[in-house]
Amino acid sequence: MKKILSLVLALMMLLGMVSFAGAEEEIVLNVWSFTNELEGMIEKYYKPTHPNVTINYVIYPTDGGEYTSKVDAIMASAAASDEAPDIFTLEAAFVKKYVNSPVTADLAKVGITEEDVAAAIPVMKQIGTNTATGELKGLSWQATPGALMYRASLAEKYLGVTSPEEMQALVADWDLFMETAAKLNEASEGATKMVVGAGDIWNAFNFGREQGWVVDGKLVIDPILYDYLDLAVELEQDDLSNKGAAWSEVWFAGMKTDTTLCFFLPTWGLHYTLKPNCGLTTNDKMTDAEMQAACEKDGGTYGDWRMVAGPVGYSWGGTWIGANDAKVEAASDAKKAAIKDFILFFTMSEEFLYQYAKDSGDFVGSNEIVNKILAEGGTPNPFLGGQDHYSIFAEAANLANGSIMTDYDEKMNSLWSDYVTTPYSKGEKDLDAAIADFKAQVTAQFPELVVE
Amino acid sequence: MQKVSTNAMPVKKAKRKSISYDKYGYLFVAPFVIVFLVFQLYPIFFTFRTSLTDAAGWDKVLNNRIIGFDNFAKLFAFDTEVSKFFWQSLGNTVIMWLFNFVPQISMALILASWFTDSRMRLRFQGGFKVLIFMPNIITAATIGILFMALMGYPVGPINVLLQQLGMLNSPFEFMRNVAMARGTVSFIQWWMWYGNTMIIMIAGIMGINPALFEAALVDGCSSRQTFWKITLPLIKPILLYNLVTSLVGGLTMFDIPHLMTQGNPNYTTNTVARFIYQQGFEAPNNFNMASAASVVLFGIIVICSLILSALMKDRNAKPAKGVGK
Repeated sequence: MKKILSLVLALMMLLGMVSFAGAEEEIVLNVWSFTNELEGMIEKYYKPTHPNVTINYVIYPTDGGEYTSKVDAIMASAAASDEAPDIFTLEAAFVKKYVNSPVTADLAKVGITEEDVAAAIPVMKQIGTNTATGELKGLSWQATPGALMYRASLAEKYLGVTSPEEMQALVADWDLFMETAAKLNEASEGATKMVVGAGDIWNAFNFGREQGWVVDGKLVIDPILYDYLDLAVELEQDDLSNKGAAWSEVWFAGMKTDTTLCFFLPTWGLHYTLKPNCGLTTNDKMTDAEMQAACEKDGGTYGDWRMVAGPVGYSWGGTWIGANDAKVEAASDAKKAAIKDFILFFTMSEEFLYQYAKDSGDFVGSNEIVNKILAEGGTPNPFLGGQDHYSIFAEAANLANGSIMTDYDEKMNSLWSDYVTTPYSKGEKDLDAAIADFKAQVTAQFPELVVE
Repeated sequence: MQKVSTNAMPVKKAKRKSISYDKYGYLFVAPFVIVFLVFQLYPIFFTFRTSLTDAAGWDKVLNNRIIGFDNFAKLFAFDTEVSKFFWQSLGNTVIMWLFNFVPQISMALILASWFTDSRMRLRFQGGFKVLIFMPNIITAATIGILFMALMGYPVGPINVLLQQLGMLNSPFEFMRNVAMARGTVSFIQWWMWYGNTMIIMIAGIMGINPALFEAALVDGCSSRQTFWKITLPLIKPILLYNLVTSLVGGLTMFDIPHLMTQGNPNYTTNTVARFIYQQGFEAPNNFNMASAASVVLFGIIVICSLILSALMKDRNAKPAKGVGK
């Protein structure tokens, strides 16, 4: 008995030594983000396959600019310290600020090559690229292309449209879109409008620009924005819209009643905005079949939506993963490899993206995986009457041009809406006065910009 | 001064016999003093310092240089855009504060004199006081959102109601009308704060010696005369307190305009506090301009408070002494 026991003990010791010798260098990665989205993905997909990497995950909310303040403060004071993030996530609203600054590392420094990211969806890659130097600094696991969602039953009733192809023909460019809006208003006798308001088409329309808000330190108002204003005036004054603002009561009402035909929404908008507001007292745990049944009973719009690419390819929102330049500079080769592996695992690897797409239905950021899913028959979506949303989003994603994004977009968009689009389209100001007010605001808030 | 020293005498005598507990007093006030020093006094000095630097943008915040009074020069230049918007914000703030403060103090005074009038003997006083005070308990954010929903366009409860009553033919966009937008902000401030002011006024009136009211009653004063000749002069210090606190609160008005209008329509509801917020914490991070504007606002508030207290004191000085004796 004793012999056996000592043998077992000896074996255990031996095993312990073997496993100790086999363990690689312990890598610790500090990851900063503003939601627990990435944390969930790390727990579920990354940790099981990367036992030797320890992740310190830190969350600061974006509310009131807390996240960016924390990042800015530590980058300015102690970028290479132990508390500083190795890897941090960047939201669409501020991704350009960071990839255009020296704070984020050129991903080539950790060994990510052009080939590694060849399959990335171009618009997301463009946004993650430093505008001035062309270095790739951020990659995303998802792409957030937008499309045009419309109500099949209303389109058939008033426009005689029976398929998405016919609908796309009616909204293929902005002129056709406005013609269709006028036709719809007439046919429905004003009961159904094309869109809720001019603000609703902004996110799509501004992707038609050739230049972003700021080029070489100068404010640029792309000529196409004047076309947008004409369109806004028509939508407002010719009674072609519901005259409401996005995210207002009217906007949500349009999703569950017959007052509005079209919504411009991106991937997340389909799942997190349109679907929960389609008129069902939604319960996340409901299966699609149950939702369908509930809809027939309650009269919601579930299953009546269809999707087309619309007049312009655009992208709205998204989250990018970037690395802290100071930490990358100081990192050992093993750590650099771990950072490279972390970023590529979440943004490019089939291992993760395919499974994640299957599990969540999210639209992933690699064309390779998107094509694989499409080849398998896509993702028929009962909310869209069985239409496959992946194929439409894939089309829109590859049309969108991300080179017009600048650090200033969020603020400029809201100033443009408050001081130009809204007062001008409502007839409160003439065009020159509105543009002058806009420029005055830009001058006051961005003293470093040249405004002509 | 004399009073203090006479008070201190017995303490000194007692010291010989028993342990002094004086030092524990410091211990008790320490938490407040520390928090005040770290989170209030230091930021105030830091703001003064920042206002003299070029700290615009995060990378400069930690590497800023003192550049003198350039930021103030910009604010007082009157022909730059920054200056134009700063003074316009100040004008907006004063207008919205006046339309809130004048009705607020009048309403509070009327209610306070009713509630304290021994001849009126209002019933259900407690209930009324609670109801009137209620809006003050709800957070400003909630009220801002509530009013935004009420005044929604093109579909909102007020629009629907007015259309059904036949007072409107088509929906009216309240928040695009300068008078309505400013009026709503003032109204909310009034509605939230007149209950609070009323309670303070009631406390002030209750502090007046009841013998004075009785004497007035015996001498045949009317309610109106009692109010103008006795109540009002005697609660002047309370009025001053209210005026100053309301002025400070009014000039730093931020939450309701920020949540409801974002300065729309066309910058007419943008307050100074929102100007500071925009400069400092929205996209550009112009901390230097934000600090300079804060310092100017601080100066304006100090000057206004001094003027107010000087004005009130002058007329009050003699009768107050008389009453005291």
